[in-house]
Amino acid sequence: MKVTLTTHGGLAAAIHIQLPPRVVDTETLPGPAAAELSRLVAAAKAVKASPAGDERARDAMSYMITVEERGQSTTLAQSDVTMSAQFAALLNWLQQHAA
Amino acid sequence: MSSAGRALGCITPPHILEKLLDSDDSDIRQAALNTLLTTARLRGERSVRASLAPSAAPANGRRTIFDCQSGTSLPMAVLARSEDGSASTDDSINRAFDGFGTTRRFYQDVYDRNSIDDRGMRLEGYVHRGVKYNNAFWDGREMVFGDGDGIIFTDFTNSLDVIAHELAHGVTEHTSGFEYRNQSGALNESMSDVVGSLVKQWSLRQTADDADWLIGNEVFTPGINADALRSMKAPGKAYDSELLGTDPQPDHMSKFVHLPDTDEGDDGGVHINSGIPNKAFYLVSVGLGGYAWEAAGLIWYGALKASTVTTQFQEFADTTYLKAEELYGAGSTEQEAVQAGWREVGIQITGMPGRSSARKQDAASGGAPDMAALTEQIEALSTQLKELAEEVRSLKAGK
Repeated sequence: MKVTLTTHGGLAAAIHIQLPPRVVDTETLPGPAAAELSRLVAAAKAVKASPAGDERARDAMSYMITVEERGQSTTLAQSDVTMSAQFAALLNWLQQHAA
Repeated sequence: MSSAGRALGCITPPHILEKLLDSDDSDIRQAALNTLLTTARLRGERSVRASLAPSAAPANGRRTIFDCQSGTSLPMAVLARSEDGSASTDDSINRAFDGFGTTRRFYQDVYDRNSIDDRGMRLEGYVHRGVKYNNAFWDGREMVFGDGDGIIFTDFTNSLDVIAHELAHGVTEHTSGFEYRNQSGALNESMSDVVGSLVKQWSLRQTADDADWLIGNEVFTPGINADALRSMKAPGKAYDSELLGTDPQPDHMSKFVHLPDTDEGDDGGVHINSGIPNKAFYLVSVGLGGYAWEAAGLIWYGALKASTVTTQFQEFADTTYLKAEELYGAGSTEQEAVQAGWREVGIQITGMPGRSSARKQDAASGGAPDMAALTEQIEALSTQLKELAEEVRSLKAGK
């Protein structure tokens, strides 16, 4: 399973817009870490995406997590003002582990 | 006018006026109706004045800081410091609290504005949001600050201009309401940078020449080779490194960056093309010299209030030119500096001299009334008051 994280917007949007996506592949991870990522992905996928956040939000960041597995691709997209706890947990994990 | 309003209120109580509305005499009915209408208007004016009056710190714009404790759910955050509470042992909490206080005082003392909504809106801040969160934002009601990852970014409360930047998004929301996309979005971002820099300059009593004109120069870790997130003095030159890339902000319309109105495109480059109006404000400020929050800031703040959600760079430039005329006179040094500042970033003021197209557009679009319209309204109200006083005198004489 390959998971790609792209980050947009925020106070430092001009920096983020130039940064490449961060990628992690379970095949390169130790067993426990791969299992943890799979669990977090499954939990985030299971939660219905929140409706669009407050349109008055300014400088909030948005995140796109693309999961590629067995020829299928799923994209989860949320923002600082809409993200579920499950999405936040996955995001946090990726920010600490993805290259 | 207010003394006349008080006199009218004493002479004829509202319940008597309402009774007079049933009178058989049409002149008495008309006089009573006029009095009720005028009194209502004066009451409205007094309430507006009351909201504008300088207030004791605890009464208006009360500050509350919450600690997210590394969580991302704001409702789960815990109260950390309130207006009347003692200082925290946590520096982030105190910096957010103090930054709100400085920004609130700036708006009150310099622009006679009572908090975000000019009606004493509470200032609520959330610190320690998420884990290693590299951002600060305004969510439409409150301000949120991350700790930074410790690699590129540090705590976002370290920067007073960042705190003021976020609070200023609230002010923009309550004034022009600039749409957060394309040019109006870049103006939204630029106004927050302008206020962020002005609050810092005001707190340090810096002149335009002495100021660094940097936004967020305290949010990078010491090891990062970057001056700041943005430079209003030199857009495009805030950073240039392998890690961060090159600052993409343009400093001239010829370099305007066309991006899609999507998350990926920064909503049409709102954080990128803001470099153009940022540079214009810097040029006007240094062109005038002295304190930037005075003439230049006052002109920009006036233009913000006269703008609408869809205002573009050209309209905003024209509005600043008009505001400079209203505040300092046609052909004044201030107005010439505004014209020169915009010209240097590639925007020629239109509708010169005198009435710009922005004024007509304001009126046509239902935007904030301009000064001429306000003057006309005040004159009409004064005339009505005189007539009303005459009618009341006649009524009294007839009793």
